[in-house]
Amino acid sequence: MTRMIALVACLAATAALADARELPPAPGAPHEFRLPAKESLRLDNGLELTFIDYGSVPKVTLLAVVRTGNIDEGPDTWLPDMTVEMMKEGTATRSAEDIARAAAGMGGELSLNVGAEQTTASLSVLSDHAVAAAGLLADVLENPRFPESELPRVLANFERSLAVARADPGSQADEALAKLEFGDHPFGRVLPQEGQLAGYDIAKLRGFYERNFGARRTHVYVAGRYDRAALEAALRGAFQGWRAGPEPTDLPAKASETAQLALVDIPGAPQSSVRMAVPVPDPASAVYFETTLTNSLLGGTFGSRITSNIREDKGYSYSPDSSIDAHRGGALWVLSAEITAEHTAAALTEIYKEIDRLQHEVPAESELTPVKNYRAGIFVISNSSPNGVLGQLAFMSLHGLPDDFLTRWVANIQAVTPAQVTEIARTYIRPERMTVVVAGDLSKIGASVRALPQFAGIRMP
Amino acid sequence: MESVMSKTATRWPVLIGVAVLAGCAAQTPTAARPAPAPTESAPAAPALPNSAINIPLDYYKLDNGLKVVLSRDTTAPTVTVGVYYHIGFRIEPKGRTGFAHLFEHLMFQGSGNLGKMEFIRLVEGNGGVLNGSTRFDYTNYYQIVPAHVLETVLWAEADRMKALAITQANLANQQGVVKNEVRDATMNQPYGGFPWLTMPQVANTNWYNAHNFYGDMADLDAATLADAQSFFDTYYAPNNAVLVVAGDFDLAAARAWIAKYFAGISARAQPARPDLAEPPQQAEKRNTYVDRLAPRPALALAWQVPPRNTPELFAFSLLDSILLQGEDSRLWRKLVQQRGYAGGVAGGINLLGNEFTYDGPMLWMLYLVHDPAARPEAIIADVDAEIARIQSEPPSAEELDRALTKLRASLYDLAGSSTRFGLVDLLACFALFDDDPAHINRLESEFRAVPPALISEVARKYLSPAQRTVQLVVPGRAPPAPATPGSSP
Repeated sequence: MTRMIALVACLAATAALADARELPPAPGAPHEFRLPAKESLRLDNGLELTFIDYGSVPKVTLLAVVRTGNIDEGPDTWLPDMTVEMMKEGTATRSAEDIARAAAGMGGELSLNVGAEQTTASLSVLSDHAVAAAGLLADVLENPRFPESELPRVLANFERSLAVARADPGSQADEALAKLEFGDHPFGRVLPQEGQLAGYDIAKLRGFYERNFGARRTHVYVAGRYDRAALEAALRGAFQGWRAGPEPTDLPAKASETAQLALVDIPGAPQSSVRMAVPVPDPASAVYFETTLTNSLLGGTFGSRITSNIREDKGYSYSPDSSIDAHRGGALWVLSAEITAEHTAAALTEIYKEIDRLQHEVPAESELTPVKNYRAGIFVISNSSPNGVLGQLAFMSLHGLPDDFLTRWVANIQAVTPAQVTEIARTYIRPERMTVVVAGDLSKIGASVRALPQFAGIRMP
Repeated sequence: MESVMSKTATRWPVLIGVAVLAGCAAQTPTAARPAPAPTESAPAAPALPNSAINIPLDYYKLDNGLKVVLSRDTTAPTVTVGVYYHIGFRIEPKGRTGFAHLFEHLMFQGSGNLGKMEFIRLVEGNGGVLNGSTRFDYTNYYQIVPAHVLETVLWAEADRMKALAITQANLANQQGVVKNEVRDATMNQPYGGFPWLTMPQVANTNWYNAHNFYGDMADLDAATLADAQSFFDTYYAPNNAVLVVAGDFDLAAARAWIAKYFAGISARAQPARPDLAEPPQQAEKRNTYVDRLAPRPALALAWQVPPRNTPELFAFSLLDSILLQGEDSRLWRKLVQQRGYAGGVAGGINLLGNEFTYDGPMLWMLYLVHDPAARPEAIIADVDAEIARIQSEPPSAEELDRALTKLRASLYDLAGSSTRFGLVDLLACFALFDDDPAHINRLESEFRAVPPALISEVARKYLSPAQRTVQLVVPGRAPPAPATPGSSP
């Protein structure tokens, strides 16, 4: 412990010599970091364009973010995923092969991805090809052909992926957690039912597309080096004729706030997949900065308390990790860890101990300051690439965050006090509101997990 | 085999990538493709005409033999530091399987002036991220930190190059952590270790290339503090390492700090390197194993590639690009798009890096997860047909140009990346293995110089059926086997 104090003191650039060891040289003065400038405009059909001029190499990334995703699937789990996969199978004028070849010829690959609330189409190309890339991206978004001939193959691929997901202990734990947290909301159904995917025919896929894609839901971000006038003209030309389409849907997800425990039996599993989750303030909240910092200190960094304890002290787990998973209007603190089967109950006990300690003892400044420095440093690294900046802007757009979410990030992080961290832990990271999933060999671990005092009388759906 | 901080490794995409978009982590699916190797995959194969990129380099050696590569780029106020030791999992001593990787963990457990966890806290607490990894022929340690923290990081890396200071308790702790890593990666997920860990064990015959790189549990348990000290003394010498600094820094200051902190570390005699040569393969090899968790069969094919740094390897790399890389590649078109065997086909030269980041024999692999209805023989026949086609007819100018364009783009990505990981990786390997980091600036011209006929020629010379290894994964429907799940080949 004295060693740690010596080190932290050094971080603060004071010269406290706690023992005979040599101290690390103190860091110099921080270099200036400026966020890259951005410019936005809106087309008549509602589509937004944002330009960021940034980078040292002649490449440009185009990222279209459409405000749709699994949130819009209703009971049809993975319908958006299959729809979007089929969008790569051809447009009115291009085959799948044409699309792949065109993108490769520009030095890139078209990537489509369905998220919970945002679906993205991205293409990163040599700058010389920026204009052509705009045309290709727009074509795939605006003119999908949904070729019937390709559906059986695409369906088989999804069925195979589903089978693999169902065989994966981690996925089974994730599925159980989502169900307990979000119930009948689409976020509560991570994997489709047996036979469900086969019911999605071309009409159904096309229907999803028609209901959920359009200019009003789309924001195209550009970052890198490019000829601004030429690219803007190309993007306007490619997107201004797109139908406005629907407004984004609003389907708030309400996460569970009661204590629940699910045990998933995976006979023979050498490890237990543990998930713990509890609602916390979302990014638009006034206390988000202390919330995200609390996560970093508790379980979100390598030096965090939970990782130090169950990995570096006990050796129970290789890569425990906690994060804040935000959706629009809400967020969950989620801890994930794969734990040696025989240490499952012991590891859970240690995790609860760490939560309890943070709730009851205000952390020292000397522990919190390095965590703040970490988040400030990560901020610079994250915003030092075109892709990083694009990701941040899309995240801010989803959560309706103002520009000063970024410009004041470092100041807001630095302003958090140790007492605020404890307050967040006490108010939100509460075991009595927490959902816990343990997926493992219940014949070996079930009894000891059930016997933990935190689970006495707990709801077991 | 990401080590200690697979933590940061798993967190990177969230911090830096567009993955920030995924609102609810529980809601992901759509992995319509087989999972790649559990590491940075995507071979960052470079290339281009008349050097589109020109990486600035300052390369020198300290008197103790430590190689130093400095590459300045002030686009972002960050700096990436990598220390690479020329000891990887394939060249670890016999009877000590998994030791190179276990040792990588130990390098975070304490050094002369830093106790357990202190290195990590020093880097994270100053706004940086760090990790280490073990590969075929090197073990690396790297940090990305705000530019003003460079001296602190150099001091810390020198501190652990100078002296190892671990306790029995720390060793035991990391044995537990590593065993959990192995369970995570190979036993508790379908297709764990396939094929990056499983294939070399059957495709290769030389023990060094063919042993279990993660280590047998018994060997991991048997490791002692004395073993660790001896391993450190032997391989973690300055004359067996390279230090790379890339990013925003002052050249003179960096050189002065490096001299101040590293120059006093003594050189140590290095043992002769083991003979890694693989005998020529005369007949096809086949291996089948049951994966307890796998719900569908899987197939992998492997061939030995031409020696490093030869025109043949550059030609083979283009062959790989044309056959296997990207959705426009020939095998993707055939196996995925036309036949529908799988949601994707993956592979390449060196699944744990690229065609430049190893120092010995290497396999070219391709693999996919398919349905039971697709017979392996039919899939192999389709692969053979595509190989036969390029064996008999060189790629068209258009196709070759596309391959070179892709290579050029990836070279720019390497130079423009804010993490600079790929750049540091190449500079370190070219310095460590070839004493020639400037090679990075010649890559383009070397790819450009490949005559189309040579691509067909290497396909003929290296990709015959007799030279290949076939590995089949059988879905395990039976009740779990108690002792060795996912039975290693």
